[in-house]
Amino acid sequence: MNRTRREFLAGTAGAMALPLLSGSVFAQSEGTLRIGALNPVTGAGGPYGEGMQKMILAAAEAVNAAGGAAGQKIEIFAEDTQTDPQAAVLAAKKLIEVNEVRALLGTWSSGISLAVVPLTNDAGIMLMNTSGAPALSVPPANEKGLSYRFQATNDRFGRAFAEIAEKEGFKRPATMAFNNASGIGNTEGFKKAWEAKGGEIVSSVVYEPKQTSYRSELMQILAAQPDVIVMGSYVGDTTIILREWYQTGQPAKWIIPGWAANSDLVAALGPDVVEGIISVDSVSNEEAEAYAEYDKAYQAAMGKPGSDNVYAAMTWDMMTVLALAVEAAGTTDMAKVNEKMHEVANPDGTKVSSFAEGKNALKTGSINYEGASSVPDFDEHGDVTPDFAASFVEDGKINRRYIVKI
Amino acid sequence: MYFAQLAVNGLVQGLVISLAAMSITLVFGIVRFPNAATGDVMTVGAFSGLIVYPLTGSLLLSGVFAVAVAAAVALASHLLVFRRLAGRSVVALLVASIGVGFVLRSIMGLAFGHQPMVFSMPLSRPYRLGGLAINPLDLQLALLALVMLVLAFAILHLTPIGRQMRAVADNPALARVSGIRSGRVMAALWVLAGAIVGAGGVMLGVKTVVGPEMGWDMLMPAFAAAIFGGIGSPAGALLAGFILGVAQEMSTPFVGFTYKIALSFAIMLIVLLKRPSGLLGRIEGVR
Repeated sequence: MNRTRREFLAGTAGAMALPLLSGSVFAQSEGTLRIGALNPVTGAGGPYGEGMQKMILAAAEAVNAAGGAAGQKIEIFAEDTQTDPQAAVLAAKKLIEVNEVRALLGTWSSGISLAVVPLTNDAGIMLMNTSGAPALSVPPANEKGLSYRFQATNDRFGRAFAEIAEKEGFKRPATMAFNNASGIGNTEGFKKAWEAKGGEIVSSVVYEPKQTSYRSELMQILAAQPDVIVMGSYVGDTTIILREWYQTGQPAKWIIPGWAANSDLVAALGPDVVEGIISVDSVSNEEAEAYAEYDKAYQAAMGKPGSDNVYAAMTWDMMTVLALAVEAAGTTDMAKVNEKMHEVANPDGTKVSSFAEGKNALKTGSINYEGASSVPDFDEHGDVTPDFAASFVEDGKINRRYIVKI
Repeated sequence: MYFAQLAVNGLVQGLVISLAAMSITLVFGIVRFPNAATGDVMTVGAFSGLIVYPLTGSLLLSGVFAVAVAAAVALASHLLVFRRLAGRSVVALLVASIGVGFVLRSIMGLAFGHQPMVFSMPLSRPYRLGGLAINPLDLQLALLALVMLVLAFAILHLTPIGRQMRAVADNPALARVSGIRSGRVMAALWVLAGAIVGAGGVMLGVKTVVGPEMGWDMLMPAFAAAIFGGIGSPAGALLAGFILGVAQEMSTPFVGFTYKIALSFAIMLIVLLKRPSGLLGRIEGVR
């Protein structure tokens, strides 16, 4: 019995040491700033995760090429969240406790960010996420002001929905929300903005995940004769709902967030069902110089245009803003760096679009980083306000029609 | 009319629950453990159907193939795992079945990925019967399920192997003394349990989206229906699935969509308080 326990311990120790060897992307050395890249490389976020991780690496390389931040080279430790909160928490623990990273960058999906944020708060380090849930803005998730969001909140998505619904001349909107923070955040945001415009919502439903049918939910919504149905949903449930709606034969238009109304949805349902759906997504800051640089790096790393992955542009900005804040603070003491986050990213200051440019400008005064994903101007909750695009599904293709600013 | 429509919606959902519950109850009745891999065998059925459907365009052929594959997988799980654990405690078998389910789910996740997939069927408008909307696809699916159910009950009640199964379920010791060979009975049982749930998998896949987690997510309502119907009673499981499905939908005007699942469980609780053996179950004697 003793022998097996010893073997077990040795095996466990070996297994625990393994990621230490493989996780570090740069050679380990003294005087580096350790940063964790925590991205959804596999699972539902898989289409985005690899690009997100590579853009953290690319942005860190750019920082190191410019001589590092506050004299320190950046060293990235990468882990996969598997788009699963439990796996994400384990990976975050490992990055924080074993690798002793000073910030975690690039968590995707609200469930994961909400699961990881208590760990980063306890460790007194920053978490930069690409999630939408409103709960991430306020205590307890953001009680220490250490959480930064580079994606629009679900609330802002809701405001964009309201702008688009008004522009398209809809009068009788109804809402359907997936029962979680993100889904309800979308439709509540829409409701607030729509009612502020003097509009009225004719019917609303919050539905349970993982149902075999949403026909009864649809019956209630369609009974109110809405001209547009605004969704807070994901691609799986949206597929079932749209299929069952189409079978009823009752006409309606749809406004659906971009992560649900994507090419997968079109492929699953065929062009007839999805014709005319309005897909709303946040868009990168495509006219900016920083975007051009990001696009070049993304092409080099992934062989695809940077517009393929809005989240990768966000992680590029995360790394760059963080490095600029470190440079401005002149130290890697994260409490001091955190104080500089708003300063380097928000207005009043020389507009800069890269780390090298910002490092130079910091010698003479304050700076305002204009990023690839947005002009990351943090509000008091550490949230940014990107622009939104309204895209219409036409003949099975998702075509962007116009940009909405909120 | 609104309520009638809700009931129709519930019936189709109930059918899927019923099939999974029947499989659970069959296994429980004879091998005497709750098989937590049932949902994942269901997923195997859905993916098998998904492979065949684009090649043939026939729902029937996909169903037959799914039933065959799911039956084979269930039989393999018996031969490779559960048979070897025969005689162990219920907990050991339950944990083993969770493990089997986990392996199946992981294999499907690796093979097919986690993006939701669909049976790309031509969508059709519903038939209108005096204000009731009935979907032609639902009718086809119900027919498929009905065929499966009739076959299952026929096997259970009209064939020698079915009689032997029921004998083992009633009293394993007496069955052995009477010369029933449990090896054959067990194999037949697993094939039947797998086949039933395979058909359920195709139904669920056609109605919803196919993903590695879909069957696992169905496990709770299926277990509930199996218990509600009286554990070990296939007819009870069938009835309970229907009642749960219909009660869920009919309750929505009163409790809303968020709590309909809770309500169906409340109904189950009340019935079990009044009838601890379930709808059609019998109280087991002390062995």
